[in-house]
Amino acid sequence: MWLKALELRDFRNYESLQLFDLSPRVNIFVGQNAQGKTNVVESVLMLAVAKSHRTSRDAEVIRFEAETALVQGMVEREDRTLKLDLHMLAKGKKSRVNGVEKRKMSDFVGHLNVVLFAPEDLQLIKGGPQLRRRFLDVEIGQVSPQYLYNLSQYQKVLLQRNTLLKEISKKEKKEDLLAIWDEQLCVYGAKVVQKRYEFVEKLEHFARDIHSRISGGKELLSFRYVNSFDLLEGADVTERFFETLQSKRRQDILRGTTSVGPHRDDLEVRIDDREVHTYGSQGQQRTASLSMKLAEIELIRAEVGEYPVLLLDDVLSELDSERQLHLVESMGERVQTLITTTTTYGLEQFMQEQAHVYRVEHGVICREG
Amino acid sequence: MLFYPEAISNLVDGFNRLPGIGPKTAQRLAFHVISMKEGDVMELAKALVNAKRHLHHCSVCCNITDIDPCRICNDQSRRRDMICVVQEAKDVVAMERTREFNGLYHVLQGAISPIEGIGPDQIRIAELLRRLQDPELEVEEIIMATNPNIEGEATAMYLSRLLKPVGIKITRIAAGLPVGGDLEYADEVTLSKALEGRREL
Ligand SMILES: Nc1ncnc2c1ncn2[C@@H]1O[C@H](COP(=O)(O)OP(=O)(O)OP(=O)(O)O)[C@@H](O)[C@H]1O
Ligand SMILES: [Mg+2]
Ligand SMILES: [Zn+2]
Repeated sequence: MWLKALELRDFRNYESLQLFDLSPRVNIFVGQNAQGKTNVVESVLMLAVAKSHRTSRDAEVIRFEAETALVQGMVEREDRTLKLDLHMLAKGKKSRVNGVEKRKMSDFVGHLNVVLFAPEDLQLIKGGPQLRRRFLDVEIGQVSPQYLYNLSQYQKVLLQRNTLLKEISKKEKKEDLLAIWDEQLCVYGAKVVQKRYEFVEKLEHFARDIHSRISGGKELLSFRYVNSFDLLEGADVTERFFETLQSKRRQDILRGTTSVGPHRDDLEVRIDDREVHTYGSQGQQRTASLSMKLAEIELIRAEVGEYPVLLLDDVLSELDSERQLHLVESMGERVQTLITTTTTYGLEQFMQEQAHVYRVEHGVICREG
Repeated sequence: MLFYPEAISNLVDGFNRLPGIGPKTAQRLAFHVISMKEGDVMELAKALVNAKRHLHHCSVCCNITDIDPCRICNDQSRRRDMICVVQEAKDVVAMERTREFNGLYHVLQGAISPIEGIGPDQIRIAELLRRLQDPELEVEEIIMATNPNIEGEATAMYLSRLLKPVGIKITRIAAGLPVGGDLEYADEVTLSKALEGRREL
């Protein structure tokens, strides 16, 4: 699918914006800082998911001095064209698909699929394990409500267990009360772990290919799910979890917190079989983060049957010119891509020949060339 | 900001403290009460006070009742060899609506939940154990009908571990209940299905 046209009214610093000639391939938005590049990306994301990635207060996107904001898009899907409207009011918002009002936002969401890569996503590998766990949870959760249910049950049991552990260490409660939580923790935890293993396998399949293309075939990306309890070949996951939990019980009581389980796991990323978090250069870490996130494009295609629209906010400058070129070339082949950047150094030829280039200045956008 | 006469704001505050009632609804209820006929208001007030004065917990099953033991515990036509353990009095009502169960109840008045400071001693487990020691009562089966969420499940597990050595059959309602929901919101069909599909713990 691709976004054919975008119209904004009183959205952020845009009084009125009309883009009727977006390319089904690569679109590059060039401009200095604070001109409105991210605002465009944000508006497209909102057409897809009805909320912003920058704020939880919808009204914040309404242009200063204006009362309401409007985002409209024309989406070309394989079998139909969809007109999407999202209207932000001082209180609440309204949405329409082909002119028909959707009462529930969940009925609006999903007509346009996007994958957004924002600068903070570059931290995925350099940052702590909680970022990678969140990545796994969000990605799996998008396609499996069952996973989200198991995960939330797990987190509830974990909270109960940790509270009880603290009471036991203060001698306020008896240790044998742990059993009723341990059993549930293992049941839900094992389901979470198993689903993550399956997902990491799929992720590796797609991310490896993407990484190879961006790095010009120079690097081999691989993943390893790092479990906080050892999984023995052929052993039941629930039982292994349970055994490990029991063996750590003393320590858990002492510390008042649970030391094993999916909330302690990590996703190890390797390039040419060396761990990137520790040994990778910054550029490698960024490329690997990007590849991981871009794999989502393929996962969505497997799920909905069409490629989503890719939004790349401010990531080009983080890569060398060769990787930049490989990235835009390989993505543009299959996926509509909207890229924002402050500099175009190294991409001049590609821009002239294969991309639509838009200059962004003070809330006004002009197509170049 | 609007300031009401004290009589109204007391009433609003009173409603606001009830479960499931936010400030807006509390305000609407308060103004509604003021617009009612005095006789109707008196009846409502009397109903509130009466409910509080004349209702207490059954000394046997811990359900809410106006006589002691309660009507269910007193009903000689009911089977005495089965006890259905529920969390709240309103769950007894839900269970009775199914007309599938003809035994006795035990109302725990809560579920084990460390984060809320509720352990086994804070709910009516001791009362259940005492009940089971009664030689007159020959209980053969205990049905765990606590809510199908993690606290309800933990409570059922705790009880089954506690009661296993006593040698009574312990079952847990399972199939058909909405996952993660509360028993009181389940419809009759769902609940009777659940009752049929109970399993031993
Ligand atoms: N509700 C709003 N009304 C009007 N202008 C707004 C509103 N919200 C943000 N802005 C303005 O939008 C501009 C920022 O736009 P944006 O974040 O898109 O910049 P950018 O081009 O992505 O810059 P950078 O290169 O620094 O990321 C700021 O000047 C900000 O004042
Ligand atoms: Mg920006
Ligand atoms: Zn009774």
